[in-house]
Amino acid sequence: MKDYVYDGSFDGLLTAIFHAYKEESPVKLLKELDYIPHLFNEKVTILTEIDKADRVYNSIYTKLSYDTLLNVYYLYLSDIQDIETLILDYIRLCFKYSDTINLAKNNDIIRSVDKYKRRVSGEAHLFTGLVRFKEITPLVFYAQIEPDHNILPLILGHFKQRFSDQHFIIHDLKREYAILYDLKEAYLHDLSLEEGRKLATLAAADSLENLFKSFYKATTISERHNERQQRSYMPKRYWKHLVEI
Amino acid sequence: MDIQEKLEILSGAAKYDVSCSSSGSKRSSKSGHLGSVSSSGICHSFTPDGRCISLLKILLTNYCIYDCAYCANRRSNVIPRAAFSVDEVVDLTINFYRRNYIEGLFLSSAVFKNPNHTMEMLTTVIQKLRTEKGFGGYIHIKAIPGASSELIDLAGLYADRMSINIELPSDYSLKLLAPDKKKEDIFNPMKQINTNILNYQEDRKKYKSTPTYVPGGQSTQLIIGATPDNDLNILSLSQKLYDKYDLKRVYYSAYIPVNTGLNLPDIKNPPTLREHRLYQGDWLLRKYGFKAHELLNEQKPNFDINFDPKTNWALSSLHLFPVEVNTAPFGTLLRVPGIGVRSAQKITSARRIAPLSYLDLKKLGVVLKRAQYFITCNTKYFGAVALDEDKIRTALKPKLDLNEVDNPYVQLSLFDKFSTSKLLLVGDSTSSVTGEL
Repeated sequence: MKDYVYDGSFDGLLTAIFHAYKEESPVKLLKELDYIPHLFNEKVTILTEIDKADRVYNSIYTKLSYDTLLNVYYLYLSDIQDIETLILDYIRLCFKYSDTINLAKNNDIIRSVDKYKRRVSGEAHLFTGLVRFKEITPLVFYAQIEPDHNILPLILGHFKQRFSDQHFIIHDLKREYAILYDLKEAYLHDLSLEEGRKLATLAAADSLENLFKSFYKATTISERHNERQQRSYMPKRYWKHLVEI
Repeated sequence: MDIQEKLEILSGAAKYDVSCSSSGSKRSSKSGHLGSVSSSGICHSFTPDGRCISLLKILLTNYCIYDCAYCANRRSNVIPRAAFSVDEVVDLTINFYRRNYIEGLFLSSAVFKNPNHTMEMLTTVIQKLRTEKGFGGYIHIKAIPGASSELIDLAGLYADRMSINIELPSDYSLKLLAPDKKKEDIFNPMKQINTNILNYQEDRKKYKSTPTYVPGGQSTQLIIGATPDNDLNILSLSQKLYDKYDLKRVYYSAYIPVNTGLNLPDIKNPPTLREHRLYQGDWLLRKYGFKAHELLNEQKPNFDINFDPKTNWALSSLHLFPVEVNTAPFGTLLRVPGIGVRSAQKITSARRIAPLSYLDLKKLGVVLKRAQYFITCNTKYFGAVALDEDKIRTALKPKLDLNEVDNPYVQLSLFDKFSTSKLLLVGDSTSSVTGEL
């Protein structure tokens, strides 16, 4: 078995797929970060090559479909260990049976793809609601999140459109990068935990937080108490950055 | 009184309004303006009662001239009263919105002075938000029964959704518990809003500059269990509202006793399971092509709480079953208990590739526990018991008789013991929210 190790970028993944696709012996794709040397496996380091990545990208787009390409991208964003194996299996399956195989919702590979895609898009949707901004200076806002999946690229457009008249930063603490918006462009940029701590102290006293806390408390109907339902919609692991709880 | 205190009083007073959806409308903001509306709606938080916070749900004031028996804000109650100023509501909305706490504003009010004055105040708030502040978030506003039609016309230009709560499902109940309100005061504005929506939509096809009018449609709310109305009355009313006034949603609210009074039932245990079954029935009306009289009839005017409404219906219509999953059309699949919208879609999709086996159905998310009795797969019947109403009924019956559990007049010690919600006793506790039946 060969271990194909790529740099963790989407283009890197597509380049790795390019090389793995013609490989006859079994291969495993891995991010550099996840790689642990294995006694019997040969390590092959994949250097990202944009033209090879583009070829894979375009052939999925034109020979299969935009939806299939989107599925691959969402799976990549899931950040789940060993998701690359599923991605490779999925692409092989689609090229073998043509894009209509996506209709076979009972196929185990298609089921897994649907499942993980739903998880990623579901979390992205949830976080359009769960991001909590703190005002660090007038009309400059900062928020910290720790999502399971790498959802920043998916929520960027939503926040850019909604808050087009205020500066904001949405900081993914797990992946140490952030969405930065400066009233013109929104882009993704590295942002360390240390810098995050500094920004958070600037926002320490925001009087609106207390108002929201009292609203949260007053709007609860105690006769209908149902914490299990609350947790099923909003799992506890997300509570850390919510000001109201 | 400071803003914090006002917020506590006026959001506490608004909480019994169940509607909190922010869906059905779409508004993309102009660059440089604050706010947008996403058509799927967004929940921003969930309270310990399991309900979502999407909108800043508040009353403008809880000073009321009416004395409706069921209402916490009725004139004769001695409770802390407060009123927001227009600017307070506007600032609160904008500031909450900028921090992404909320999706928009849900503004309601008790009736102070008279209906027209109240409606005028509400309209002033949302007019200021939209025109002065350029606010593009979601706005849900209550139409006050009895307000003049000019005010309703105006308010709709700024709102995404308008609602008028019917609360009591029959004329008799209305006279009994809300003698100050007239039936016409509720249905006339509803009719007017619907006509306006249709007119504006028609105009928009011709002139692009036509403003939107209540693009998210109307909704209303009914109280369950405060009056002797049966499920058939309630669902037939909903059916009429959907057909006649094109309502987007009817919400049901299990009666929680906030007052005591001569005409009020002495409820110890809000009938939340009945409410749950009604919500399920409501989904069947809106998304599954059922009609109210199919689900219930004069002989059986109430749902059997032990079964979901679709199973109830299927058991009384066994002559239509079993259906063959590999050939049945989509609409027929939707009527099978245990097959929801999503699994029906997956079935019709997957069987285009190859016929499905019984094992495949589980993979597609079909709830075989219920579906097994109502389907054949490649002409084979897989049910654990024969296709017989009594046998299936026995097989599907929950261990605990839920009709007992949901009896509103009995305080059940059982739940103190488990300190858990009744809803957990039904196997499909989320289906009244997701609509997957």
